[in-house]
Amino acid sequence: MSTAIHLPRSGFDFSNANRNAFLEGKGVKMPKATSTGTTIVGCLFKDGIVLGADTRATAGPIVADKNCEKIHYISESIRCCGAGTAADTEFVTALISSNIELHALSTGRKPRVVTAMTMLKQRLFQYQGHIGAALVLGGVDATGAHLFTIHPHGSTDKLPYVTMGSGSLAAMAVFESGWRPSLEREQALQLVVAAISAGIFNDLGSGSNVDACVITATHTEMLRNYVMPNVRVEKERKYGFRRGTTAWTRENVRDMVVSEESRPIATAASGEAMDTS
Amino acid sequence: MPDMSAIANPQQRQFNPYAENGGTILAVAGADFTVIAGDTRQSEGYSIQTRYASKVFRLTDRAVLAVNGFAADGNMFVKKVKQRLEWYRHNHAKDMPLRSIARLIQTMLYAQRFFPYYVYNILGGIEEDGTGAVYSFDPVGSYEREACRAAGAAQSLLQPFLDNQIYFKNQTAARGYSHPAHLPLPDVLSIVIDSFTSATERHIEVGDGLEMYIVMAKGQTLPDAVTNLLPEELPSTGDGERVFVLKRDLKKD
Amino acid sequence: MFLTRSEYDRGVNTFSPEGRLFQVEYAIEAIKLGSTTVGIRTPEGVVLGVEKRVQSPLLEASSIEKIMEIDTHLGCAMSGLTADARTMVDHARVTSQNHAFTFDERIKVESVTQAVCDLALRFGESVHDEDAMMSRPFGVALLIGGVDELGPQLYHTDPSGTFVRYDAKAIGSGSEAAQSELQDKWHSQMTLREAQVLVLRVLKQVMEEKLDQHNVQLAQVTTDKGFHILDERALKEVIDTM
Repeated sequence: MSTAIHLPRSGFDFSNANRNAFLEGKGVKMPKATSTGTTIVGCLFKDGIVLGADTRATAGPIVADKNCEKIHYISESIRCCGAGTAADTEFVTALISSNIELHALSTGRKPRVVTAMTMLKQRLFQYQGHIGAALVLGGVDATGAHLFTIHPHGSTDKLPYVTMGSGSLAAMAVFESGWRPSLEREQALQLVVAAISAGIFNDLGSGSNVDACVITATHTEMLRNYVMPNVRVEKERKYGFRRGTTAWTRENVRDMVVSEESRPIATAASGEAMDTS
Repeated sequence: MPDMSAIANPQQRQFNPYAENGGTILAVAGADFTVIAGDTRQSEGYSIQTRYASKVFRLTDRAVLAVNGFAADGNMFVKKVKQRLEWYRHNHAKDMPLRSIARLIQTMLYAQRFFPYYVYNILGGIEEDGTGAVYSFDPVGSYEREACRAAGAAQSLLQPFLDNQIYFKNQTAARGYSHPAHLPLPDVLSIVIDSFTSATERHIEVGDGLEMYIVMAKGQTLPDAVTNLLPEELPSTGDGERVFVLKRDLKKD
Repeated sequence: MFLTRSEYDRGVNTFSPEGRLFQVEYAIEAIKLGSTTVGIRTPEGVVLGVEKRVQSPLLEASSIEKIMEIDTHLGCAMSGLTADARTMVDHARVTSQNHAFTFDERIKVESVTQAVCDLALRFGESVHDEDAMMSRPFGVALLIGGVDELGPQLYHTDPSGTFVRYDAKAIGSGSEAAQSELQDKWHSQMTLREAQVLVLRVLKQVMEEKLDQHNVQLAQVTTDKGFHILDERALKEVIDTM
């Protein structure tokens, strides 16, 4: 009789979901995932797409990462900003990036933005919102420049300017007052910076620096930390500690050098000596 | 057929009269001075309600109160404490001493035992014997005198830092030396400023501005290092204790 | 309609055309019938002394209580309708305890005196009200002695709710003679012992009976020991040094 071998099926394992729901109902605190709080935006301009993101990651009211990257790589000409549960946005964009690469290889064509969008929405829909990713997907392909938002449950929008995350209202206010069709590259970039800055300064879930990414048919420019309006100020005091500050209960000093004394054994004078010639 | 679902699935709704408005306060007592500080951001959820709302208030020539938690309750509470102090002045022809204010705050908080003011109070100032003092309270009036205390959103970030830097917790002194019981004013101010810049870095509800009140005991003058920071002196009624205010900007993201 | 004087002295809240409140004035008169009570302030503390009228050899002198403790730092001596003083002292005690509870400090002598005088004026309140608390003015005057951050102080209160601070004060039947004697003998650097002796001398002058440790009572409030009533042995000791 052979022992059955259970290999894990692909995808998420939900076997603990019922147990966790029960425990939560009993008042057990669940560990909280790092959220990207976030302001993410994207807008169309004359020659392509500009994406933008802040760089703050939070765990509740605590800043978990002051300079994280929220503009993820999908393909050379397609990028995706992520808001929501950090792990979900990172994982889902990395997965789709892999699949897009495989797809490009098998079709022998450059990937299209709609393809990435469709793969993302299908995966998010499959998981019924349990994958907490809110995305801004943008890029340029054979059919032109495209900009989408993808919500955690799988719905999508195709719009000329979009914002997402907790700072989306602040950012959208800037877009609504400043966006026009056929903006120049520099104008669009400045608009995105203004929109992200609005999120950084007016939304507590967003903060630190402005990341931007300009995608055109010929070139993609990732502008990491394009603006840094929140540099940490210098401390008033030095917080070094004198050697010996930490108390100890026992001291045990070991000599790590093993010393050995060796003496050659005297051989018989008449014996055969080693030929050293 | 009446709708039975309402009976099958009873629902409960409740009005929540409280809000949490973020921010942090802190106070440190020296030998003959006290520093009471608070940031000026007021927020609800992820929104900033205002970048400048004081959480620190001067009560008398020698008492300053910092209030943190639910801002509406905090403001009302300060207003009522000030009213009681004025009544006291009229009834007893003197300013209320610090420890009496502390006790008064306890009775005022405990009077609301079953519908509390949702506030954490820190009272700082000079005692009648001329020493710096800090009193900290919970929302229903439990209080104690301490040398330093942080409260509010970033309490869990700041109190361990103060324990280490003010009380020298987990620091063994060099052989033949001992830690000082009280730090000089310039050192305390530096620690307070660093506390707030650090809390601003890592707590989303802390930032925008910093207000530091310095209460000096009778006959004490500010050290040059502090005078150079150009603090504003608040008008006092006599030639006793003096109150100064120092303001700093904090990051606004 | 014209009202005669005898009609004006009925109501406790009706002024006469001359601007007088007769019931209050009569209450003040009542004090002049009371036993003599003396108080002296010195830099060390306040001394209070009363004459106890032992009207019968069967009367237990120690049961006459004319000096009462208000708080550890406050005492009072009375003259007049001593029963009324109970209400006032009760009020003073509650006020003092309340103050200590709320402010974690000892109430000032003036503040507790003020509180007592506030009570003394309540007779005018809601006369037509069924559950009015007081129907007439108190018929008693108090000498309130105590120590606080301003040092030892002595206050005199009367039924009109007026209070005045004194260095030395006598009230009651022998108060006129006693007061002029106090004016003669009091000086600002008196010791506590000198004050005790002066109180007894003044009382002795105005008393009909021969003064002894049974028919007078002495109490003092000092900065370090607070309020205490001298027991008969201590009292006799002072009497012997007179």
